Amino acid sequence: MSLSDDELFVLSYYRSSEINGSLFFGRLARVLKPGPVQHDLTKHFADEAQHAWYWTRCIDELGSRPLKLAEAYQDRYLEAAGLPLNLMEVLAITLVFERRVINQYAKHLALPGLAPQIGATIGRIMEDERWHVQWVRDALAGLEERFGKDHVDATLRRYREADREVYADTLAEYEQRLGFLSSGLDHRSAP
Amino acid sequence: MTPPTPDDIRRRIAAILDVAEERATPEADLADLVADSFRLVEMAIEIQDDYDVMFGQQDVARLRTVGDLAALVHSRLGAGSSP
Repeated sequence: MSLSDDELFVLSYYRSSEINGSLFFGRLARVLKPGPVQHDLTKHFADEAQHAWYWTRCIDELGSRPLKLAEAYQDRYLEAAGLPLNLMEVLAITLVFERRVINQYAKHLALPGLAPQIGATIGRIMEDERWHVQWVRDALAGLEERFGKDHVDATLRRYREADREVYADTLAEYEQRLGFLSSGLDHRSAP
Repeated sequence: MTPPTPDDIRRRIAAILDVAEERATPEADLADLVADSFRLVEMAIEIQDDYDVMFGQQDVARLRTVGDLAALVHSRLGAGSSP
């Protein structure tokens, strides 16, 4: 089974986004104080790098080579939401983003006639993604006392709004390439 | 223990950004001292950790220079007025 041009674009986009995620968490892992958040964020960083490898291998197994893409999802995301300025904001944007990732991968996994290599890759990644959401949600809850629950909730709302905008814009811009993923889906639904 | 002065904080900013103190003058534009904007995120997290202070989007909306940031941290330490 070989990849269509659109599929190759989407898998390459996933790969680029995983690489960007890894670089984001890697840089943060380098500056955080030792502790539980540093511990879990370092694992998260390693997972994202591993996911980029999974996509590279998957594309290779399907007889193609990853496309070199100029940008990834996170670039638009940070532009729309603003750069996070403290650990709470980093975790909030991460939680919203990870939920979007799970939602996107679940949609892809539900496609009929999916290549087994793609299904296996998404399945493997989804196992890690569930843990990502869990640890980030727990860490955020742990910061509510310091930052205030209302402030944490407001920050999450701000990032969810940005997420909805970016996702809708991304689908609109890449409508032709992503059409096979988005048909019949509500583009503006919350993650 | 003597609380840090804005100049102490300025020197710490220079150290975190790994630039010479002479470059990190109070008037120096933060954006000119970093290779990419994400470096500012790393620096913001480190400086808040170092001084055990917090600031958010509203606080930094008007921040531009090293001196602005040093003044913000200094004000959060309760040792000066807001920028």
